[in-house]
Amino acid sequence: MNAMHTLLSSLCAFSRRALILSTFFVLPFSPLFASRFPQPQFDSVHQVPQAVHPPFAEKVPAWADVLILAAALAFTVWLVRKKRSRPLILSFSLLCLAWFGFARHGCICPVGSVQNVAVSVCHGGGLPWHVAAIFALPLLTALFFGRLFCGTVCPLGALQELFIIRPLRVPKGVDAVLRILPLAVLAFGVVYAVNGAGYLICRTDPFVGIFRRSAPLPLLLTGMAVLLLGMVVARPYCRYFCPYGVLLELCARIAWKPVAITDAECVNCRLCVGTCPVDAINVPRPPLNDSSRVRQFKRFIALLIAAPFIAIAFAVTGWLSGSTIAKAHPAVRLAEMMQLTEDADADDVPPEIEAFKRDGADPQLAQERSALILRSFRVGSAWAGFFTGIVLALRLLSMTRLPRNNLHETDRMLCIACGRCFPACPKNHQLQNTIKV
Amino acid sequence: MPIDNQKLTRRDALAWMARAGTGAAVAALAVKATRQAEAGRTTWQIDPRKCIQCGRCETECVLQPSAVKCVHGYAMCGYCKLCFGYFKPDAARLDEAAENQLCPTGAIRRKFIEDPYFEYSIDERLCTACGLCVKGCTNFGNGSLYLQVRHDLCVNCNTCRIAENCPAQAFVRVPAASPYLLKEQL
Repeated sequence: MNAMHTLLSSLCAFSRRALILSTFFVLPFSPLFASRFPQPQFDSVHQVPQAVHPPFAEKVPAWADVLILAAALAFTVWLVRKKRSRPLILSFSLLCLAWFGFARHGCICPVGSVQNVAVSVCHGGGLPWHVAAIFALPLLTALFFGRLFCGTVCPLGALQELFIIRPLRVPKGVDAVLRILPLAVLAFGVVYAVNGAGYLICRTDPFVGIFRRSAPLPLLLTGMAVLLLGMVVARPYCRYFCPYGVLLELCARIAWKPVAITDAECVNCRLCVGTCPVDAINVPRPPLNDSSRVRQFKRFIALLIAAPFIAIAFAVTGWLSGSTIAKAHPAVRLAEMMQLTEDADADDVPPEIEAFKRDGADPQLAQERSALILRSFRVGSAWAGFFTGIVLALRLLSMTRLPRNNLHETDRMLCIACGRCFPACPKNHQLQNTIKV
Repeated sequence: MPIDNQKLTRRDALAWMARAGTGAAVAALAVKATRQAEAGRTTWQIDPRKCIQCGRCETECVLQPSAVKCVHGYAMCGYCKLCFGYFKPDAARLDEAAENQLCPTGAIRRKFIEDPYFEYSIDERLCTACGLCVKGCTNFGNGSLYLQVRHDLCVNCNTCRIAENCPAQAFVRVPAASPYLLKEQL
């Protein structure tokens, strides 16, 4: 056996032709894991070594992750409601950034957990309990106290918070249009995940490379670009992309005790207005006169009539874009590649085709499977479009409501509790006895 | 003003009902998702039977260099003098000179055991998971070199970036308690 082994080895060494020959003769006749060269019996006392494989080390147990998140949220509630101190909120958000971002590498976070929950609900359970808890805790907090998670605990938010230098006011109309994006990301993220096309929300997370201090260049550059944009448009990811923000917003809409600028009664001094980077302070507007009240009412009725059409238009758009979106699914991509390369030269096959051919699966079956997935993507993205349209229509409707507040208060859906308005309010100073009035 | 007070209470009651409903919905989602007996923590691994050595493990990982490394299943190795994972196909001579080596970073160590056998081991600090040696060994040798996710490096992303780009769907979730798919044991 040894002699044959030597012979074969040396034969190959002398000629490249032998190597090519071996491709033709050895490969087709050998099963996948053929032992072409059986392991030698060593004359000397040579021990065949054992490869060492480092085990999966759980750096932090699951229960500790959940406990830390819960504790961080509880501490934030105390900071925002009782201490009302911007420096403390900022320091704590730095701590959260260091822990959830740089120490835990930002995975698994509530933002991404939306997809895990969606997949598990659709395909029947099996989600580790800590992921479900991480998904639910910030939402339940928002239900009681507003979006405290965004301002302090979320590492993505805390990172952007550091780059807010000169926040510009985004015009109301532009803001309304841009805020469609998070809705679409949430809806399509769920469609992607449920249909098995991967996790869109995780893939579009721009900061994960920064948290790991190691990433492919495009990912890193995107993260930097978003941070730089954040110097003039405060928290661009949170406001115009984050899909979890949509859920938090829905919960915060009915919050029990939303973030208040001050516990004392507002005196409408307007000192807080310029401090909010995300434009979440509702300024009292003068009462409408009769003609504008009628105009407002007419606009409301018009929007009410338009609402179903908006939703249907979005649903149709979703349906039409379904086939494009489905290309994210590997099976659909494969089927498309197979059609493209059918008549092309066989030299330069993409690895997908190579893998498919090696498995020896039926091309007809692959096409059928692709068609099936395509259909479910169409239906899914039509629903996603419908959801986006409905929420958009509701938002437009709520924009035409009559001004109800005659004091300065936070917009509970937009306020992320960064605490910038707290020190601006003289009433807060009065309450905390930092100035004498 | 009793009417105002009454109005406020009704509003409050409605708000509490909405809150309870939303809270229950969130909780129900979470519970429904976890309903079945869970398999415990899982982590990413490459199924070496599916891997076609496309080279994307090197480039797609969020970590640079990649958390995937080449490992050597010694039990499968033929200890060949002419190792197709070690030498370039057009190697002028069968020695350790860099120009003869297939590995772009020289991460494979070659040790003489006895004539004509050599032992090959991987220096994981140098390996970039390009899969060149794996391709050579799989196509022309025993296939004892293969790629595995190393769990001292992998950060266990919620969704693995390599998995999403793997042309052979070779990335699978495995139980964290036995996180390797060793080819010699499959």
